[in-house]
Amino acid sequence: MNEIRERLQQVFRQVFDDPDAVLTDEMSAKDVDGWDSLQHINLIIAVEKHFAIRFATDEISGLKEPGQNIGSFVRLLERKLGMQSRTAGA
Amino acid sequence: MANEIHLDTLERYLESDARQRTGLFKSFLAALKQLRSQDPKAAAAAARRAVSPDLDYTSLLALKRFIHAGKAGPGQEEALRIAVLGGPTTLQLVELIRIFLAGRDLTFELYECEYGLFRQEILTPGSGLDCFRPNIVFLATGARDVGVFPPVAAGREEVERMAEEELSGWAGLWQVVRERWGATVIQNSFDIDPWGVLGHYSLRHPASRENYLALLNRRMAEQAPAHVVLHDLNSLVVAAGARDWFDPRFYLEAKMPCGPECLVAYAHSAAGLVLAIRGKSRKVLVLDLDNTLWGGVVGDDGAEGIQLGQGSGQGEAFLAFQAYCRQLHDRGILLAVCSKNDEEIARRPFRLRDDMILTLDHISCFIANWNNKADNLREIARRLELGVDSLVFVDDNPAERAVVRRFAPEVAVPDMPEDPAGYVAALARHRYFETVSWTREDASRAQYYAQNAERARMASAFADLDSFLGSLEMRARIEPVNPLNIERVTQLVNKSNQFNLTTRRRTRAEIEALSRDPDWHTLTISLADRLGDNGLISVIFLVQSHGSLEIDTWLMSCRVLQRTVEQLALNEIVAAARARGCHTVTGLYIPTERNGMVRDHYGRLGFQASGADDSAARWVLRVDESYQPRHTYIRTEKTHERDSRTIAAGLSAGL
Repeated sequence: MNEIRERLQQVFRQVFDDPDAVLTDEMSAKDVDGWDSLQHINLIIAVEKHFAIRFATDEISGLKEPGQNIGSFVRLLERKLGMQSRTAGA
Repeated sequence: MANEIHLDTLERYLESDARQRTGLFKSFLAALKQLRSQDPKAAAAAARRAVSPDLDYTSLLALKRFIHAGKAGPGQEEALRIAVLGGPTTLQLVELIRIFLAGRDLTFELYECEYGLFRQEILTPGSGLDCFRPNIVFLATGARDVGVFPPVAAGREEVERMAEEELSGWAGLWQVVRERWGATVIQNSFDIDPWGVLGHYSLRHPASRENYLALLNRRMAEQAPAHVVLHDLNSLVVAAGARDWFDPRFYLEAKMPCGPECLVAYAHSAAGLVLAIRGKSRKVLVLDLDNTLWGGVVGDDGAEGIQLGQGSGQGEAFLAFQAYCRQLHDRGILLAVCSKNDEEIARRPFRLRDDMILTLDHISCFIANWNNKADNLREIARRLELGVDSLVFVDDNPAERAVVRRFAPEVAVPDMPEDPAGYVAALARHRYFETVSWTREDASRAQYYAQNAERARMASAFADLDSFLGSLEMRARIEPVNPLNIERVTQLVNKSNQFNLTTRRRTRAEIEALSRDPDWHTLTISLADRLGDNGLISVIFLVQSHGSLEIDTWLMSCRVLQRTVEQLALNEIVAAARARGCHTVTGLYIPTERNGMVRDHYGRLGFQASGADDSAARWVLRVDESYQPRHTYIRTEKTHERDSRTIAAGLSAGL
């Protein structure tokens, strides 16, 4: 399994208090019970802390928008983490 | 077996410093979960002990699942109803406030409204807030809720005029809160961001945004009436640093007032004021000595060899910490010493070093021995006649901190950094000693305790209690609640636990209202003797109900137990009953975990038991000619009738 997705899954399990939650690329906010706007912000806060990254304003709400799912979120994380390591390497 | 393993995991986490806790958090949560399935109450208690401003946002929310916050049960005080009304959203803030209040075992209910609707909620009869009938209304507002900012060209006078207009709008809200619900207001100051367009020049320009907000804050502090408690939001911005505090992304996307991690500090600080209103702030700072008040070990290095001042950076840091403790003492926090030492040696630096900022006069209770510190802390609480949960313990040694956290969990034990340069900030950030008022009696509190020690010494020198009490030459001043004593009365009503018959907590606004109500009669007793002034030590609220005068509230400071103040008070109560044509006085005892000492208070004073149920026992006393005034050693100095009328007029004028 994709390492970032696995770490995301850990964060997800803690925020949603669901030790058995399994993330798939196709999952989106509407598929998950309790994924309301409050929990969404809590997820964003936890992900920022866990991965030590900072989302841009439009990225914060992006995950909840139509057409977005866990797969696109993982790619966003990869992009941000990749950018970070390039900056660190430069 | 499995059970023991997770209990040990819990204790190991709870006794550790924050630095170790981070690595243990996951296993702590797992152990909590396991415990919850067997004993949800124990899991909730452990989770409450883990609540700390050192935790991050996500971890605090994880703890919340184990905490059953809030509602009153039998034998508990009534739930405090707290409304949090936001300019920005309060969704996250309220959850965190809930966690911090539960962490101190407060019984409460919370109410919040949609963001930005605080004015409508307050002003509209029948609103959700109106139905909630709050005791406390927290206006969690900020600079975004200021109506109009002055244009850059506005002159000083116009700026002043605009500020007055702005504040009269806020004052109107506060007044409605007081008149409609008799509630206390907690009002945020305005947060000031430093991105102003005039740069450094904004300090000199009256119409700059920074200056205008600072002016509003200053005027608000000067003008806010006494039922408004100010929460200095802007000081939190300064403490966190504006770059960390202001996180516009979360405002734009979720209307959050600040960045998520700063929200933890915000909620912790606001909860601290609620606790202070309820009298749950800590009262005593207990200090270790070696490597806490000075560098080195006095038993090894001698009083001359310990490190203190002397121009070394580290020595100066210990002095700075002493100076901070001294300031806490001067504002009324009691200081005590708890040290593993021979007592004579432990006292040497205080006696022999003239560069010590703390002297033995500042220490209300000094314990140096080789017993375990958890036991010693309980002993200190006992000697000071205060609850163990009123203590804060500062020790540089992590092992001692762990022992106390495990065996005296009621005591607050902050982490201390290895470097003494960080001691002051490490202690201050916990906001243990928040207060919502300050009276001169606070400053003299340490003195009262010293005088009490002297009285105890004298008492042992007399053959019997009567001749001792006679020798004290006690004088009491008896007054109704008035503008001069209402601060102190509110303090006592909200914090006395032990000698308190009904433990009914009330806000200042509520006390003010009942003191004006003709059905009510209020009494306060201040006691002095030849050793000194004890200040205002007893509060009694009576309410007329049919032909009886009912004792709604009777509380007394434990400092003056066994001094015949109760007998004096009963004579006054009976006089008040007769003046109103009542035939009986009714007393109520509502048991709590803390007030066992007055279980038989009314019986001792000659009342007849008149029924009891789970929550209260009722007692009655006939006040006809058969009543013999109870014997007291206290002479009374009454306030002149005319004075009390003048004072009552002052009260109704709204203080």
